[in-house]
Amino acid sequence: MTARRARAGLLLLGLLVPRPGLSQGVGGSVGIDANVIGQALTVTTLSNLNFGSVPKGIATTVQPTAAGAGAWQIQGTKNADVSIGFVLPTLLINVQALPGSTIPLSFGATSGRWNRATNNVAGATAFNPSAGTTAKLGPTANPYLYLWIGGTVSPAATAKPGVYTGTIIVTIAYL
Amino acid sequence: MKPTGLWVALLLCAGRLGAQGVVIAPHAVFIDARTRSGAVLLYNPNAEPAEVAISFFYGYPATDSAGRIVVRTVERPDSTSSSAAGWIQAFPRRLTVPPLERQTIRLLATPPAGLVDGEYWARLVISAKGGQLPVTGVADTAKVKVGLTLEVRTIIGVFYRKGAVHTGVTVSGLRTAVVGDSLAVWARLTQQGNAAYIGSVHAALVDSTGRTLGEMKAPIGVYYTMEPRYALSIGALAPGRYRLRFDLSTGREDLAPELVLPSPPVRDSVEVRVP
Repeated sequence: MTARRARAGLLLLGLLVPRPGLSQGVGGSVGIDANVIGQALTVTTLSNLNFGSVPKGIATTVQPTAAGAGAWQIQGTKNADVSIGFVLPTLLINVQALPGSTIPLSFGATSGRWNRATNNVAGATAFNPSAGTTAKLGPTANPYLYLWIGGTVSPAATAKPGVYTGTIIVTIAYL
Repeated sequence: MKPTGLWVALLLCAGRLGAQGVVIAPHAVFIDARTRSGAVLLYNPNAEPAEVAISFFYGYPATDSAGRIVVRTVERPDSTSSSAAGWIQAFPRRLTVPPLERQTIRLLATPPAGLVDGEYWARLVISAKGGQLPVTGVADTAKVKVGLTLEVRTIIGVFYRKGAVHTGVTVSGLRTAVVGDSLAVWARLTQQGNAAYIGSVHAALVDSTGRTLGEMKAPIGVYYTMEPRYALSIGALAPGRYRLRFDLSTGREDLAPELVLPSPPVRDSVEVRVP
């Protein structure tokens, strides 16, 4: 038990090492007090879903395997199951125009991908983000889970110019 | 792992991502009725502040028709349920975690009078919003610029224990099917006692000599009744008879032993025939 607490303390110190400008992942246990000792859980957004500049009047799709896909890394207990759900917007709002200027956004049955342990979308499992899925973190050496999401925007030919944004909410439930 | 190696691993991990997210520890909070309080640590490892909101709901792991484990949400739990969602509060409920700093969320339980002994559950939702996409104009009027921000909601379990709590699990309906190079395993698990069964499930396929041909191990929480489906990678099996050993124990590597309610191991097995 002493070794366990020493390791937990060490990890907490490691957790607090300042590394300005860089994200820090965390593995193992973190001790807070006697009542709440356990492993840390980290959900990190690796990249936002970015369509870039898209032409009006033409639907543009970002595949979950594309560079513009949204991506997350989940780190936690090895082999743990997590439930993954999404709150997906159907309209994106022009933040530079008058209210009411929107374009539709849609997601397909294979717009989501998840991969256990490795950050490699090519070998990932497809899923429907509207339905969510259950996935498993990697084994001891790589207790990670990676998620990707793509989608399709369909700006009308009359869409007002500007920047259209929205928020995708991903829910990760530890089971 | 030696401490030096641990440091190296941490620092390598730390420098890898230019991203956003908060570290949450622990991933399960156990509150004792004598103290009625608990805590969750948040740490922001990034260069941007993280906006965090805290909320509760009542839900628990269950299985869907395919045997996948999902969180079943109960929006309006009745008075006979084991919900603690209505009487546990978080302080603060909204906060901003500055870069490279940590914040502690205190949980305080105010259970109703006359609460019977047992374990009560809630799910804690930690919503974290990081930096926004840069908003810049588009020079080409035939185009629009589109980008979406990603918000993360992490859900962890909260367990309130009052008085004598005990747990157990029963296994029934153990069955298997060979699917490609995997063995699918189903079992009906029913929680016993007045607390959730928090433990691990282990399944192993052995031949007549006792040699293990494939196995899996995973953490599990049984709150009521569930029928999970597991898959063991077994490769190409020669025709014959094998045995699937299935057992549950309350050992969990991710939780401190004093937080896990002990219960005797439960074992079952079933013959597997490969034609």
